[in-house]
Amino acid sequence: MAANTLAYGALVPPSPHGVRAAVGRVLRLGVIVSAALLVGGYVIGVLSQPTAFTSHMAEQAHLQARASFPHSSASLWAGIGHGQGEAVIVAGVLVLILTPVAGLLTSVVAFARRRDWLFSAIATGVLSVILASFVIGWLTA
Amino acid sequence: MNLIELSLVLLGTSVVAGVLGSLLGLGGGIVIVPVLTLVFHLDIRLAIGTSIVAVAATSSAGAAKNVGEGMANLRVATFLAMATTIGAVTGALLSGVLGARLLFGLFGVVLAASGAQMLRTHAPRVAAVSTTREIPALGEREDRLGDKLALDSAYYDEAEQVQVPYVVANKGVGLGLMYLAGTVSGLLGIGSGVLKVPAMDLAMHIPMKVSTATSNLLIGLTAAASAMVYFARGDIDPLIAGPVALGVLLGATQGSKLLRSIRADRLRVLFVAVVMVVALQMVWKAVA
Repeated sequence: MAANTLAYGALVPPSPHGVRAAVGRVLRLGVIVSAALLVGGYVIGVLSQPTAFTSHMAEQAHLQARASFPHSSASLWAGIGHGQGEAVIVAGVLVLILTPVAGLLTSVVAFARRRDWLFSAIATGVLSVILASFVIGWLTA
Repeated sequence: MNLIELSLVLLGTSVVAGVLGSLLGLGGGIVIVPVLTLVFHLDIRLAIGTSIVAVAATSSAGAAKNVGEGMANLRVATFLAMATTIGAVTGALLSGVLGARLLFGLFGVVLAASGAQMLRTHAPRVAAVSTTREIPALGEREDRLGDKLALDSAYYDEAEQVQVPYVVANKGVGLGLMYLAGTVSGLLGIGSGVLKVPAMDLAMHIPMKVSTATSNLLIGLTAAASAMVYFARGDIDPLIAGPVALGVLLGATQGSKLLRSIRADRLRVLFVAVVMVVALQMVWKAVA
């Protein structure tokens, strides 16, 4: 294995295909899971409140006079627990938001496994900045 | 109009935004925000929250295939993400300190100038690509750090049916521009693909297709950082963001396929056209 890596060393293209493929797989998985939750949540919503979805009114009224929707982790879990369609859609949106971060996390690990310490460190640095901004965001929101 | 019809209209609009966004390396906010606010009279707060979700959708769906196939350069994206994410945090912290009007005006002018520059450099660049194939180094390998970073790569251009190798130039300048792009997106709450693509194309000499595909990877990371804030504030309405996200996912998947087959020079013209529209929007916001 070690000899193999050495022999390959000079020939392997800059971005080893393994890292790229791994990141690509994680992104695709995130997209598929999110799309399933978005569609599933919408269908649950229509089936559980058919009148809310089919009654005719001005679009502004739909968009502006809406009841509150889940936007904290507590209300999200409670909503999913009650089989609330909107909560499932929110879960799909959150999966989507976190997918690029999951891709970055994958590259941290994949670069490290290929002993590309420089890029593993750079990716870790980027990840810490993003996590720090999550924390700043939650505290100031 | 009932809620189901409204969702279908949002879905359709978002498919278009997704195709355009993933093709050009932009978030699609330039399509989504005006439609939501001008056509549906949606509160700007909810429109921006929705647009951030659209950016994440464009990024993931657009990059899913392109990163694996090497159209998007993962090493370049990771390297530049250092600057864009720190810039985004800087911008968020600075917001409110600087006047938005002045910023929009400045941003509009910078955009228009870089768009014009991109059209001007169009012709010679094609010749440069064919020379690079014969003399890979082209005297641009600048330093030991550059060798360690190993950012240079190649992509297969389906339209031209050739492998296009490229050398990444001016890494320091690139980092600086990306920091500025990140700061602008944090300050103005816009995706900054419109700035990231010209920075890679003009300053770093990265081929147009690779620039937009790599920008796609980058915008998802900056969007993720701010999206959690919008979510916690309650700016992401599931019945609007849901259909939009789904539409963008569908559109961006198609857009990433289209990116492989489109001709690079047509892509550049399309990009510049969109940049000019955005520049006008920004200048309008500054003077209106």
